[in-house]
Amino acid sequence: MHIAEGFLPPLHAAAWTVVAAPFVVHGARAAAREVRERPGNRLLLGAAGAFTFVLSAVKLPSVTGSSSHPTGTGFGAVLFRPPVMALLGTIVLVFQALLLAHGGLTTLGANVVSLAVVGPWVAYGTYRLASALRLPFAVSIFAATALADWSTYLTTAVQLGLAHPGGDVVASIGRFLGVFALTQVPLALAEGLLGVLMFRLLARLAPEELRSLGLHRALDAEDGVRLPEGKA
Amino acid sequence: MSGPAIDVAAWSSRWRTRSPGDKLLLAGGGVVVALVLPPWPAGVLVTAGSVALAVGPAGVDPRVLARAARAACAFIALGAVSLAVTWQPGRGFVVTGDGVAAAAGTTVHAVAGTSAMLLLATTTPVSDLLHWMRSRGVPEVVVDVAGLVYRLLFVLLRTAEAVRAAQAARLGYSSPAATMRSAAGLAAAVLTRAWSRARSLEEGLAGRGFDGPLRVVAADRPSSPRFVAASLSGLALVVALSAVVVLR
Repeated sequence: MHIAEGFLPPLHAAAWTVVAAPFVVHGARAAAREVRERPGNRLLLGAAGAFTFVLSAVKLPSVTGSSSHPTGTGFGAVLFRPPVMALLGTIVLVFQALLLAHGGLTTLGANVVSLAVVGPWVAYGTYRLASALRLPFAVSIFAATALADWSTYLTTAVQLGLAHPGGDVVASIGRFLGVFALTQVPLALAEGLLGVLMFRLLARLAPEELRSLGLHRALDAEDGVRLPEGKA
Repeated sequence: MSGPAIDVAAWSSRWRTRSPGDKLLLAGGGVVVALVLPPWPAGVLVTAGSVALAVGPAGVDPRVLARAARAACAFIALGAVSLAVTWQPGRGFVVTGDGVAAAAGTTVHAVAGTSAMLLLATTTPVSDLLHWMRSRGVPEVVVDVAGLVYRLLFVLLRTAEAVRAAQAARLGYSSPAATMRSAAGLAAAVLTRAWSRARSLEEGLAGRGFDGPLRVVAADRPSSPRFVAASLSGLALVVALSAVVVLR
């Protein structure tokens, strides 16, 4: 859910940019450290960013009869960790604004907060919590992906409600939540299911890559083999 | 598929060889003016000016511009509906005069800002912007990763399109369940191709002794004082006309 150019008043646009900035700077530092320690990972970071962009070309069925595309923040955070996703998400949001007219430049800060900060951290937190509770991997991924979508959508509704209160901020946030719920609630469930199916395929197609990312649980879930747990 | 239509338009625009900084001044100025000043007349003038400059001097195909604007308009329309309706206990959702006025004003701001942004997007390839950002001190790692994303995404978009066509030919999108399975297969295939391509590139570059940023030759695009002066004059004219309308 991207806020279009011009939809936020100047002060709100500036404030959300200030909120997003430390996360993006932290992400850039994390990426710089990663590249300094392992120069080859620069290309993997580029590949991860391009994959996140291309996910917006994947169509999912929607109950409203139309189709929608996944946000990718849930899988991205589990695969690449939230700090890196803050940087990759920002780059992808700039590209979506410039190449697809999706989002905007003055609303970039607000979109970074909802899609590249809140969504990934909620996804990663949910995944870690579900792992600690020893819930099945499929449940962890489904919850992480769906909650990432819902938290992104809730953040966007709060951003728009604060920007256009119409006398009552809470009622305004509720109004945006109500209008977006039609598409976002089923989309989050569809993306959760997509995440489960995608990780099952990745466990078969790319076990080495998942292992190098510390996602041993994905392999356990697929073939029942208990591998030593890394930094998941 | 040769990539997003906006990118193709940017590479073939008549303003392609102009300085990215000059175009950013014009389009960014338009975005800010449209956001800060009242919708009438500033928003309307910025929209008209951006579209006229894009299809006129910059030589952007009007159909490409219209298609790009249509994508942005979906969110703007959804947001405008949310602003126009109000929930009232006992009456449900009602349309109020204040709500319609707020929706109209925000829609003009959004359309104007999007038009100005599209003027930049349809005349400036991302690689030119990245080169300009590097020369203005944006951290090397950010420009480098962004450059890699830009160079890889076209290959991956083509891969995604080929996989999707193959799945569709095998009835992969004939039902919601089949669509979910196919979408998961498509995402997994694109990710594994992205990894394998990145690994091949890394091995190829390492074999040639590259271990730092991927620098490429970029044409120097000097700033044009006439373009800058004309841009600032146009923006000042919008500000002056808005002041006249507001103060009258």
